[in-house]
Amino acid sequence: MPKFPYGKVPFWILLIAISTGIFNLVATLSKRGEKPDLVFVSFARSHMEAYEEATEEFQKEHGVKVQLQLVSDRTVKSRLQNAFLTNANVPDVVEILADTMGTFTKGPIEDVGFVDLTDRLHAEGLYDRFVESRYSRLSRLGRIFALPHDVHPLMLCYRSDLVEELGIDVNTLQTWDDFVEMGRRITNDLDGDGNPDRYALDLPANGDMLTPLLLQRREPLFTKNGQLKIDNDTVVDTIIWYIHQSRGKDRIAFSAGWGQTLAKTVTDGLVLFYFCPDWRTKYFETDTPHLSGKMKLMPLPAWEIGGSHVSTWGGTGLAITKASKNQELAWKFAKVLYLKAEDLGKRFKASYIIPPVKDAWDLPEFKEPVPFYTNQPIGALYAEMAKDVPSNYASPYYELARNKLNEVFINAALYYDKNGDDGLKEYIKRELARVSAYVENRAQHNIFYRQQIANR
Amino acid sequence: MNNTHLTFLFFGFVFLFLYFVPFMPRGKQIALVYLRYLVLASIAALILAPFFWLICSAFKDPEVLMAYTFLPPVAEWSSQTINFSNLKKLFEKEETLEGAIYFWRYIVNSFFLASTSTVVTLFFSSLGGYALAKYEFRGRSFLILFMLGTMMIPAMLLLSPLYHLIHKINWMDTYWALIVPGACSAFGMFLFRQAFFSVPSTLVEAARIDGCGEFGIYLNIVMPLVRPITAAFCLISFLGSWNAFIAPDVFIQTQSKLTLTVALNQYVDVYDQQYGVFLAGTLLAIIPPAILFFSLEKEFVSGLTSGAIKG
Amino acid sequence: MEKWKERLNKRTAPWLFLSPYLVLTLVFFIYPFIYAIILAFYQTNGPKSWNFVGLENFAFVLADGDFHIAVWNTTIFALSSILVQLPLSLGMALLLNSKKDRLKGVFRLILFSPYLVGQIFVGIIFSVIFMPRYGMFNRFLQEVIGWGLEKRWLENPNLVMPALIITAMWMYVGFNMIYFLAALQNVDQNLEEAALIDGANPWQLFWAVTFPAIKPVVLFVVVMSTIGSYQLFELPYALLQNAAGVAGYGPKDSGLTIVGYLYRTAFESGDLGTGAAIGWLLAIIIFTISFIQMKIGRGLETE
Repeated sequence: MPKFPYGKVPFWILLIAISTGIFNLVATLSKRGEKPDLVFVSFARSHMEAYEEATEEFQKEHGVKVQLQLVSDRTVKSRLQNAFLTNANVPDVVEILADTMGTFTKGPIEDVGFVDLTDRLHAEGLYDRFVESRYSRLSRLGRIFALPHDVHPLMLCYRSDLVEELGIDVNTLQTWDDFVEMGRRITNDLDGDGNPDRYALDLPANGDMLTPLLLQRREPLFTKNGQLKIDNDTVVDTIIWYIHQSRGKDRIAFSAGWGQTLAKTVTDGLVLFYFCPDWRTKYFETDTPHLSGKMKLMPLPAWEIGGSHVSTWGGTGLAITKASKNQELAWKFAKVLYLKAEDLGKRFKASYIIPPVKDAWDLPEFKEPVPFYTNQPIGALYAEMAKDVPSNYASPYYELARNKLNEVFINAALYYDKNGDDGLKEYIKRELARVSAYVENRAQHNIFYRQQIANR
Repeated sequence: MNNTHLTFLFFGFVFLFLYFVPFMPRGKQIALVYLRYLVLASIAALILAPFFWLICSAFKDPEVLMAYTFLPPVAEWSSQTINFSNLKKLFEKEETLEGAIYFWRYIVNSFFLASTSTVVTLFFSSLGGYALAKYEFRGRSFLILFMLGTMMIPAMLLLSPLYHLIHKINWMDTYWALIVPGACSAFGMFLFRQAFFSVPSTLVEAARIDGCGEFGIYLNIVMPLVRPITAAFCLISFLGSWNAFIAPDVFIQTQSKLTLTVALNQYVDVYDQQYGVFLAGTLLAIIPPAILFFSLEKEFVSGLTSGAIKG
Repeated sequence: MEKWKERLNKRTAPWLFLSPYLVLTLVFFIYPFIYAIILAFYQTNGPKSWNFVGLENFAFVLADGDFHIAVWNTTIFALSSILVQLPLSLGMALLLNSKKDRLKGVFRLILFSPYLVGQIFVGIIFSVIFMPRYGMFNRFLQEVIGWGLEKRWLENPNLVMPALIITAMWMYVGFNMIYFLAALQNVDQNLEEAALIDGANPWQLFWAVTFPAIKPVVLFVVVMSTIGSYQLFELPYALLQNAAGVAGYGPKDSGLTIVGYLYRTAFESGDLGTGAAIGWLLAIIIFTISFIQMKIGRGLETE
């Protein structure tokens, strides 16, 4: 064999290139994929897996080809932005995080890259089937641009075996004050090393739970008109509450993290209660099979007696893009994915996510007891809260505002560590005013925003 | 005072012993050599620790992933704690509507992309570098300055316009979009230019007189002389393509065409992070570049540094 | 065939050889480049609504607090690369430098291997390593120093940058060390021996003989490091991505780099025009700093 004159390295690489090239060629030719009629993009693996069956049926029924693409959530955003800018290769149907809808509806309504679904929903009598409060985040100026995927009510999930051992009756925890009192009793240092070994609650250290807690108090970050509204007393009060529970010697909360760290923390009994929206239930069950039968769900304690026990966390919407060449087909597909009753029951069993479709909640699957959660019918439990889920409103600056709110929280926590409660309230007020001005300044930079204000 | 502290103390004592006890003829020298190896070994251990952790995590059951840093104590080894479940999950059939995809597909895709871009880039860059090194022509200095300038433009700035362009020429979701735009790198041309400087011009002239065509000189005379640089450049280019994330993420849309980096990243998404599977996949993803590097280390190193030394 | 050979003569050959580069650059660099220049002067909201805003995007960015934070973070990172990472690489190269040492090859291999792992992978791996309580890093600290089990590296705004720097060190120390090792090979042995005979101690030896000999390589590595540091994006993107909620750039934007800020503005806030403006400002920053560095470097060389 003649020696390859350029060295061993390029030789081997050339060889690899040719062999894999042939393989790829063969693989693509053998499949002979025509261009799909519909392209559907989502960012959550669990959603994708849940849709496959329904999509296959849809393909057969309509004789079309549908392509499902799984992309990370940040990539969905960047792809959509790029695609909208150039009217390019846009997916036909796309799931987006509700928080981000604002960035796509920044400019004039006519220019939004998604199809306006409001009229269709009303004309086909579908509008009332969804929980109404879920539309607000996916709309702008009353026009709805995406179908709500979920309701995501929030409950507290807890180690029922440990809690019962400690003699706590969760029915007495009606308000957060009750809960904090219980928390202070049981957050203890058990092995004498100076650190508590049992905490009552999981609260993320960077203040992420602020938004759902504020929603519980009916304080969304933005008003219906898209104005930022965070420098008010409720927000200040909630921030102070959060700080008191997670720092200082009276704290009852530990930041248990996400996914597998949360699983470990709860397994070790380090944290007893954690915030559990419906989407978390299944993940937790998969991560900790050994805790089966030891977990239970309870409604959130209210902020005052008779107050609301309901809040929500997260949300996804399904939108159809205007650049799609098969808008009617896409609409049919969207309806099949989100509204076909039989599928919704099966999907609930696979993911424990309850749909915002009210008539689906009567399906038998939702009322089944779930062994992992000590035979509680968690579908029915969540569905009961679903009707009362508070509205949240969209804004192009939603994520910026949340980021800044977290910044205020962190600064306030550091202030508290140094100065305690002395002057904390005024400090937080100042910080909130500062970031509100910042977000407003950012909004002013947006020429479409200015035009919008001028046109009002 | 635990085991680790005791180990440190032990090593410290050995050093002090060697250094200060006077009965050994060259005690001080030996002590310093010992110290040198100790420091190097410690640093090597620190560098290797994450790799060891990676290997351990790939084989730990997800339930015990967080419980133990490396491996569970031997007493707890069982098929519950140490198993191939991560790898099994990774290679599981992934049903998509276009048929089943197996993890092997991603590996092949990554190989294809990395090797093809390397070959293409090698050819174009070396050709360009040769032109810059061995020819006099007007505009040469300007071109060199221009190339330097292009290396300082952040790639992210051009992502959006590039997307627009790729869409216009219908290359979206094809491998062309990943191979062609970067097919001739300024860095590569500089590297080869440096390399060709060391080829004596007399050789080139002689070949010309012998009637060898210009391209022939490049192909048959000059290129074979710069093997270390070729090897070095191949490795850098291969690594760059193999580990690339942003470009394949944005341009490739069909699941079956994805590369390793993007496919593995799907296991760590917004709601559900399956670290065990991800880490097992990462382990696999490191093996090809590692093999490439370890088998060609000498050539790679000499090639890589020749550019810097003379530049 | 003969005609080909005639045409391909000394005059035309260079242009022909450079044609792939020129064509590719024209299509895939110059065109997007011009597009980006124009984009920076507009604000867009879809293909039909391009609004000309002149220098407003630039003015906004320069006044934006987030941009200042990004510049600060990126500069700190770049400085740490130069002042912490490079001396470490150099130190290790000095330690490793010896004529005949079988182990030298082994160590070189080991120390270089992190570079083989892509930035995205490294980011995610280290995001797990830095986890409080259960991560390898904290457990290690607790074992050795008896402190730090609960340190929240990626959730404490003051610790994000150190975590980033540690991760980058792991990745790049070996890579830079290779350059220095090779440079040290070229140090004139005779000069070294002469200095030793004159009674120089290791410190003086280094500054008088070794360092001047490796100056060009040091300059090269410094410039390359700086350019790379200012373009840092994928590492923090992957390292800080997994905390759900407000993710991606660290608490209080402590992990926000300039390119990260660009990405966020262009793709997450949907303002591509301002994103282009940020890209331009970054290019100008990189140009300026590299220019200064090279001037200083050349100046030092001629001394």
